[in-house]
Amino acid sequence: MSAAARVVVSGVSHRFGPRRGLEAVSFDVAAPGVLAVTGANGSGKSTLLRILAGLLRPTTGSTTLELAGKEVPRAARRRHVGLASPELAFYEELTARENLAFAATARGMANVHSAVNEALGRTGLAARAADLVAEFSSGMKQRLRLAFAVLHRPRILLLDEPGSHLDAGGREVVERLVQDACADGLVVLATNDPTESALARERIELSGRGLDHPA
Amino acid sequence: MPASGSNSAVAVWTILRKECRSEWRTRYGLNAALLFALASLTAVSFAAGRLGDRSDVLAALLWIVLLFATLSSLSHAFVREVEGRTMLLLRLVASPTEIATGKLLFNVLFLAVVEVFAVPLFLVFTGAPPVRWGPFLAVLGLGTIALAASSTLIGAVIAQTRGRGALFAGVSLPVLLPVLAAAVSGTRQMWSAHPVAPSLRLLAAYAVALLAASLLLYDHLWED
Repeated sequence: MSAAARVVVSGVSHRFGPRRGLEAVSFDVAAPGVLAVTGANGSGKSTLLRILAGLLRPTTGSTTLELAGKEVPRAARRRHVGLASPELAFYEELTARENLAFAATARGMANVHSAVNEALGRTGLAARAADLVAEFSSGMKQRLRLAFAVLHRPRILLLDEPGSHLDAGGREVVERLVQDACADGLVVLATNDPTESALARERIELSGRGLDHPA
Repeated sequence: MPASGSNSAVAVWTILRKECRSEWRTRYGLNAALLFALASLTAVSFAAGRLGDRSDVLAALLWIVLLFATLSSLSHAFVREVEGRTMLLLRLVASPTEIATGKLLFNVLFLAVVEVFAVPLFLVFTGAPPVRWGPFLAVLGLGTIALAASSTLIGAVIAQTRGRGALFAGVSLPVLLPVLAAAVSGTRQMWSAHPVAPSLRLLAAYAVALLAASLLLYDHLWED
């Protein structure tokens, strides 16, 4: 990973039709480091990560992703960003290895076989690589999301609730991936888990109202 | 860092291979398409007998069979991705244009495979007169490309809308009608020994216009 990754967010907010998905937020973070994004359910943590990944255009404000001092165009962000999100699903009729090989090949990666093996090994899925995703438990699917996110050794890792569905071993995998990635890259964690938040050196809390609290 | 042409070609080829592998494993569309073709041709054959002297009916019947046998699969190319929540995976590994081009090529291939089985069955079951293979394959080829291009475009546009099933029927009718009309007209002219060039020109122009519109549109889809 390069040490030169930087993310600048200026007054970014997002609306889904009449509903506000993300209240205006601004920050500037650079590698190496880990930023934890916290906030109530519905405050826009996942929306913010999708905007950073270039998948969603903010309603107001702007985001800049820089590598080695050069701005990465929004359409090219997916090449430099690794995203693991609860909304990410895989082809159930393909095996874990086939899903990752598809992603690596479509991205134009060299050494697809070794990259897939490495990602499967780092997430503890090597022994189940030949199993169909349809046969995976929720925890194994979450590990596959993490493998997908680190597959292309991205300079910026975006992890949305990375510990969800994971056992103790899985949570150790998350911790290792974050530590490896932040050595010279940038990790943005969207989480309300105190253990995951503790991995971060910087934190922001989204100010959205989130959901109403029952009386 | 814009994607290079070779990177885009690799992405398109990878998506096409993935589509073929998924279809082969699930038989989501192929079995249904072949069953529809066989059932409808058998029913027509029993009900109406041989139609060798009715080139107008034969031309319409051929394209109705091909259209309805394949339409549900063609239109679901993107809907399956949205409903299976795999659209995010696709968007993270390829650009919208690469995704749509891969889907388009799969749809062309899917139609071609169905035609390989359905057209000989059609010719035998209906007792169709001998075909002039050059004009016939030209109409079939261009009709296939235009049909695949229009259904891919409509599928991409409606994939993330609510009530996409009902919307597809409404949106597809005006887009598919010119393809169907030109293909039926060209096939009828082929059997009645008239020149098929006007129908071929119409099909080619429509296919090119659809492909051009698609290339302009795809990079702006699925953003919000």
